[in-house]
Amino acid sequence: MEVKILSAKFDIKDAHTLKVAKEHGAYSGLDTLFAVAPVVIIDLVKNSGLRGRGGAGFPAGLKWSFLPKGLDKPVYLAVNSDESEPATFKDRYILTRDPHMLIEGIIICCYAIGCHTAYIYIRGEYTTQVKVLQKAIDEAYAAGYLGEDVAGKGFQLDVTVHRGAGAYICGEETALLESIEGRKGQPRSKPPFPAVSGLYGCPTIINNVQTIASLPFILQNGADAYKAYGTEKSPGTHLFGISGHVAKPGLYELPLGLPLLEVIDRVAGGVWRGRQLKAVIPGGSSTPVLTPEEAKTATLDYESMAAHKTMFGSGGIVVLDETVDVVKLVENLIDFYHHESCGQCTPCREGLGWMLKIVKQLLRGEGRMADIELLRELCDNIEMKTVCVLSAACTMPVRSYLDKFRHEFVAYAIDRPQETGLNLG
Amino acid sequence: MAEMVKLFVNGQEVEVESGKNLIDAFEVIGIEIPHFCYHPALGSDGNCRMCLVGIEDGRPPLVPACKTPVSEGLKVQLDTEKIKKIQHDVMELELINHPIDCPVCDQAGECKLQDYYMSYDHQASRMRVPQVVKEKKMDLGCGVIHDQERCVLCARCVRFTRLITKTGELGIINRSDDARVALFPGRSLDNRYALNIVDLCPVGAMTSKDFRFKQRAWFLKRDKGICHGCSMGCNIFIDHNREKYKDDLIYRFRPRLNPEVNGYFICDEGRLGYHRENEGRLISARIGTEESSADQALQTARRRMEGADKLLILLSPNCSLEQMLAIQALAATTGATVSGFSDGSIKNGDADGYLIQDDKSANRAGLALLGVNTSPEFFESALQRTDTLVSFNNDLFITGPNQAWAKKLGEIQIIAISTHDTLFSRQAGIAIPTASYTEYAGSVINKDGILQTFGQAVCKNSAPLDMIRIAGLLGGTLTDPEALMQAMKRKIPAFAAIETDQIPEKGLKLSHNEAAHVTA
Amino acid sequence: MSDRSQLIFAGKPFLYDQERDAEFERLVKRYPTRESMILPALWLTQEQEGWIPAEAIAYIADRIGTFASQVYEAATFYTMYYLHPMGRNHICICRTLSCYLRGKQEIVDFLRDEIGIKPGEVSNDGKFSLEEVECLGHCGTAPVVQVNGEFHEDMDVEKLKSLLTGLK
Repeated sequence: MEVKILSAKFDIKDAHTLKVAKEHGAYSGLDTLFAVAPVVIIDLVKNSGLRGRGGAGFPAGLKWSFLPKGLDKPVYLAVNSDESEPATFKDRYILTRDPHMLIEGIIICCYAIGCHTAYIYIRGEYTTQVKVLQKAIDEAYAAGYLGEDVAGKGFQLDVTVHRGAGAYICGEETALLESIEGRKGQPRSKPPFPAVSGLYGCPTIINNVQTIASLPFILQNGADAYKAYGTEKSPGTHLFGISGHVAKPGLYELPLGLPLLEVIDRVAGGVWRGRQLKAVIPGGSSTPVLTPEEAKTATLDYESMAAHKTMFGSGGIVVLDETVDVVKLVENLIDFYHHESCGQCTPCREGLGWMLKIVKQLLRGEGRMADIELLRELCDNIEMKTVCVLSAACTMPVRSYLDKFRHEFVAYAIDRPQETGLNLG
Repeated sequence: MAEMVKLFVNGQEVEVESGKNLIDAFEVIGIEIPHFCYHPALGSDGNCRMCLVGIEDGRPPLVPACKTPVSEGLKVQLDTEKIKKIQHDVMELELINHPIDCPVCDQAGECKLQDYYMSYDHQASRMRVPQVVKEKKMDLGCGVIHDQERCVLCARCVRFTRLITKTGELGIINRSDDARVALFPGRSLDNRYALNIVDLCPVGAMTSKDFRFKQRAWFLKRDKGICHGCSMGCNIFIDHNREKYKDDLIYRFRPRLNPEVNGYFICDEGRLGYHRENEGRLISARIGTEESSADQALQTARRRMEGADKLLILLSPNCSLEQMLAIQALAATTGATVSGFSDGSIKNGDADGYLIQDDKSANRAGLALLGVNTSPEFFESALQRTDTLVSFNNDLFITGPNQAWAKKLGEIQIIAISTHDTLFSRQAGIAIPTASYTEYAGSVINKDGILQTFGQAVCKNSAPLDMIRIAGLLGGTLTDPEALMQAMKRKIPAFAAIETDQIPEKGLKLSHNEAAHVTA
Repeated sequence: MSDRSQLIFAGKPFLYDQERDAEFERLVKRYPTRESMILPALWLTQEQEGWIPAEAIAYIADRIGTFASQVYEAATFYTMYYLHPMGRNHICICRTLSCYLRGKQEIVDFLRDEIGIKPGEVSNDGKFSLEEVECLGHCGTAPVVQVNGEFHEDMDVEKLKSLLTGLK
């Protein structure tokens, strides 16, 4: 089931170096690139159907076309390498195993959108990864692929790596911009959208690492070659990270549209230790959970996930086996989002802490049925009332656990109806 | 007139000014959109989420009103169940970690959390888990006390120090519900406008050391006034109260919006200037060192003035225009020379290019308009020739008694009509108390030539006489309010041009010709 | 998160060493505003000192030309900036989803027993400090720990034992 488009060089020794990368085709698309007008590239990307691989799945070419024309301001590209959604680790492979694919993608994107300054925002936790990336950029500068005269084509482009320092929210595109500008990563209200007023008040495109890294393949092989993979509405391949209770966790490049359970079984070796499947988180911790029954009909594409009232997200699949205590899992989940709330908007700042305390109270055996109802209500009260979607990234999955595994919460309530579950004494 | 746009609120068509956001535009027509973080002087931040409103057929259907400009045909929903529920939910979340210590909180009575609780929340607490614990009673400096637990993190205070004073002392540190307003360790608030933070704070998180625990807000009477601390003429509220068996005392000044003069703020010095209205006052008249009734002192003063050879009347640059006119009339009757010398109240180099001015008096421009000579040369030469000096609240010793001409003062008769018991009033042969600027009505012209009027706020138990009345009792002929008004109109054509006799709320900018007088 | 408002004054003026001073000047040219240097400048400080003293925050603010409160905001918002000295060996254990599912608690418990400190503490001899952190992006090889910035994947107690013996 696996394919090798983005991951073609992942297993080649030293492919992160310019020498080896070039031997395997890196930067060979630049002649083609500079031979055509930027708008041709935008159309190419539009035709390829490439969708933003950060989680939202917004069509990349369309996003680029939102840039206002004829403005007397520089255009910026911010490459989102914050990769902070739990269960997501795909961009890390690109950064460390094929950074020149990313750099080539940046050149393609910048040429297309008329940008001469790009920033790669990399999460602070990627300590060793940032060194590999910076080395690759240095090599690209030295070889003339970046700088005053990219590949001798008269195009100027500077790329700067900007390190985050431990804040999930900086994966949100406007928080990322705030962070580059030296402030706390607190998302901005939209409008204005970054394409109109982003970094330093200038038009800015923000794309995920994998989105950008997909460009060299599309440029070299054409939109149709990319569309040959995946489904009609979700074309291409994706780097799926499969983790949790599977026999063979890891990163797998697969075309979109494959059946979820088949992938878990055939690619990731199935549920580990011969256990039963309890649930699947399909696209990172913020996506609503799927029961085994629901998972049966789900396929790995944007449309199927939406039809199952969840999301494709980052493609970070987490498998939960039968031993998982859902209430404890939810505690871990809320703890994360509470810890990462930027503290700006009242509902998220105050509400997530309250939700966490309610779950902890329940786990201590001091919670009541009414607390479960309150928890469920708080999900509704907090969600979508804030500047960004961090609160929803918490409430959407929590609501799904409350609805689909309600009996597990009830079992912890001191005033639960007699017939439900064990006596915790 | 600003351009108007038509839009809909709850299905009703309304007309509002264009160029404003929904909060400001609707406030004008009497529709409240609750909010904590938005303030017109600080812009919209969008963090409190209290101002979320619905937009019918809108994309998105839910927007923060503070960030939404009015536009033609917009269909704004404020009364839907959805919006009411959001307001209710946001209030619940604002309050879960709030100490609800209203009985000991100075903000009680003027607190947005209290007001909005009654209007938009009104439910029992569902909080059954421990609250977040933060710092309390933090002395931030400049007389500002901070309680982190009462704070709603609206960031108004932070934005004030960054955008208005540009001193940036405050920040919001940490994140999640550990976020809090803080100073950089070891530093304190260090600007001359810091107490505005107390007014800006919509809740009880920022309180004034000066005002704390002095009065409940609801006991205070709020009258409009003009600060007399400098020539800016900032508009203020005079908050005062007469407690049972006590005198009418002022408890605080607060800024009053006047976009043409001071905007939303005042300086701390001006704000705390109310203390001088309460303290150090000349309580009773004196002849020599003996206390006397005001009547007797006035009669004695009048006799001495009539017996004087060369009479010199000294005006204060803090007198109102009406007072100045009445005293000028007195001078005309008695043949006195009039000087407005008051260099002592100019503190060169103190101005900051914002509100604070070098000239620490409120109506020097009035002296200029009425042609009163304020030069030291004129004053000194008049002083050398005089045998009797009548000072209308002009404190010649304001910068100390060691002036070049001080010796001469020892040789002549001094009649000091004074609001305060000062070194100068104590040197006077006759001292007569008079009402201060919070105790009378009048008009002043600020340094930009803006004529402003104010009413009487405070009514003292033993109300000292106004200077106009005193001028009359000393033989002046211009004391009737109507006559004074006509006299003012003769001096100020721009005022005469107004149909009603009312100076507009925002003041009256005097024409170039009049202003030329003013800056003379 | 926990409160990070407490800063520690090292008691001596802060300055970058020559190498980092040059790096600061090189980086500042990469941005159109000096404020963008706040995060990089904090990183340079931490590289040099191992943590971020209060003096450094004030220094950075002055050098950039911004308010100390703004640098203070960033230093407390971003949890990877250490506001007090850490152990010679700083061990981060990922506590989030996939690592949680695959036994991060055993790792924490083992380290607590072995070193005698809980996450958030520094050992008395200054040799170790422990921190439970949010997702480190190594979910496919969970559980993961990060020791002095180096990742160690597929962790278990046995691997951890040999890892600890190699640390000074």
